[in-house]
Amino acid sequence: MWYSVKKAFTNLLSPPQTIDYPATPIKRVERYRGLIEYGEEHCIYCLKCEKACPPGAILFTHTDTPTENPKNKKSLAYDYNPHLCIYCGECVRACPKPNEALWQSEKKPGIGVKEDRVNERWFEVEGRKGS
Amino acid sequence: MKKIETTLESVVSDLTAFYDYKVWEFLTLNGVAIDEGTTEIQWIFSRYGAIDDVVIYYAPVKNSETVPSVVDLIPSAIISQREIVDMFGITVENSEKGLYLDEDSLSAPLATCRI
Amino acid sequence: MGRKIIDIPLGSQHISLLEPIKFRFACENEKIVDVSSDVGFVHRGIEKACTTKFAYDAVPYVVARICGLCAITHSLAYTTAAESLLEGVVTRRAKYLRMLLVELDRIHSHMLCLSHTAENAGFEAMFMRIMGDRESVMDIQERITGNRVQFDYVSIGGVNRDITTDIEKEIRKTLAFIREKTHGYLEEFTTNWSLSLKFKGVGVLTLDEAYRYNAIGPLARAAGLATDVRSETDYLPYNEIGYEMRVGEGGDIYSRNIVRLFEILNSITMCENILGGLPEGEIQTKMKGKPTGEALVRLEAPRGELMYYIRGEGKAMLSRVRIKTPTFASIPAFIEVFKGSEYADAPAILASFDPCMSCTAK
Ligand code: SF4
Ligand code: SF4
Repeated sequence: MWYSVKKAFTNLLSPPQTIDYPATPIKRVERYRGLIEYGEEHCIYCLKCEKACPPGAILFTHTDTPTENPKNKKSLAYDYNPHLCIYCGECVRACPKPNEALWQSEKKPGIGVKEDRVNERWFEVEGRKGS
Repeated sequence: MKKIETTLESVVSDLTAFYDYKVWEFLTLNGVAIDEGTTEIQWIFSRYGAIDDVVIYYAPVKNSETVPSVVDLIPSAIISQREIVDMFGITVENSEKGLYLDEDSLSAPLATCRI
Repeated sequence: MGRKIIDIPLGSQHISLLEPIKFRFACENEKIVDVSSDVGFVHRGIEKACTTKFAYDAVPYVVARICGLCAITHSLAYTTAAESLLEGVVTRRAKYLRMLLVELDRIHSHMLCLSHTAENAGFEAMFMRIMGDRESVMDIQERITGNRVQFDYVSIGGVNRDITTDIEKEIRKTLAFIREKTHGYLEEFTTNWSLSLKFKGVGVLTLDEAYRYNAIGPLARAAGLATDVRSETDYLPYNEIGYEMRVGEGGDIYSRNIVRLFEILNSITMCENILGGLPEGEIQTKMKGKPTGEALVRLEAPRGELMYYIRGEGKAMLSRVRIKTPTFASIPAFIEVFKGSEYADAPAILASFDPCMSCTAK
């Protein structure tokens, strides 16, 4: 009982648990799991990342304007949906050239707004994949 | 994991002979869709305090058959009986529909014939 | 005058509820005489999705999303089952790291439950204090896994990240901090009448009822039923890290709180032992093949026993994933506790069960 009374008084004088958000920034932990980034010039187009991704956030679809990369024999283009990605890192673990072709950064995705056509654009990519 | 086959007619008497409520913990009732129109219903038990001593009684059930209720013997089975009714579209004695699914939702999502 | 029974609903939205569950209490005066429940408000069809949309190696990430609090136990139970079908062996280091995360999870989940019990007793400030302290556990989980809620730490074959000496130091510091805090809570929960002592004899589950209704987890242990999957399975070496079962007596709200507090202390000790005895080695083993056969795995989640049954037929997709979650299995026991209690105690009793509806409806 006395313990609780004592605690109640010390609580009055202790600092708050919360932070002053916009003024004090949220501290970002080291090795935070963020966006997946892609280095096209090192990619060997093995498509292992696409196969490994649980929600299907990486898709390679046919394009008419392929990159110069000699490994890109089938004229494919890489597409990544940061809003579908769950940041699990399976793709990076599957990639034969991690840190060069594919790596996980500590960046956060931007806010998906209607003007960016986040959904429509991705549905188009999925449509191309399906056909 | 030990599997013991039983039938719908004998399951209640088998379980009555087997189940001692201070020795066995009833885990759950499970269903596995085997093929078109047949579901394997499993009654799963584990022994208190033993390392991985799990016993499964199972019986194949046709969709037209009615599974007897074991609630008199194992009162906690009611909730998983109701789940099986919803998920596999089979009938279990004294177990009504509507634990998870509403009137207008897809019926029997886990039965193979509906995929 | 004859007996008059009045039906009073609690939920699906109610000030004392965190998650959608609905009880309908038939009350005679203040006493609850009968209860019916509805738990399916957040049914998402995850069992179906696991067998029709995702290959077996993606399922750990799907089942982790059943519940935010025990994400790690779900993915771990599933991976253990899948590994037994693939007949792979996980390294000891990976097993230790898995246990570390599960125990950290238990610590913060129990803290959440205690904070709600405090809130239901009218202790707003204590609720915030415990929640604030709990944040430090989530911080170290974020340090280890890279995210504070969805850890995505366990995958088939091992774990996804290793810990460094820096992180280890931080974990030890946080554990010491939490231990000190927990001793403080223990002091408060055992001496303060309005917080906890008044709950003695309220919401009682007797030992016989615990057996009859197959109570599990802290609910069963508070009633004196010595059951804990950590001592009933052997795929995780709990006997090496100082696991102790704590059995309470009385089976009331008070006893459940005390069992949880001691489990936090035991989990802290276990985490320290894990760090002290962390074996060297790889954290991932490659596993090949397609799952064939059936496997059943049980694991002690913070709320009790979690069971996964999976069956594969040599294809990329499994043919059945059955998830039995702790709250789901305890609902018959919950109903039994409610019968005979006062209606006014219902919110406090419900909070002491620590129910998780997202798990239940999956
Ligand atoms: S991090 Fe996971 S979800 Fe995101 S793209 Fe890679 S595999 Fe897919
Ligand atoms: S796994 Fe790596 S190398 Fe292969 S396609 Fe993906 S990014 Fe390219």
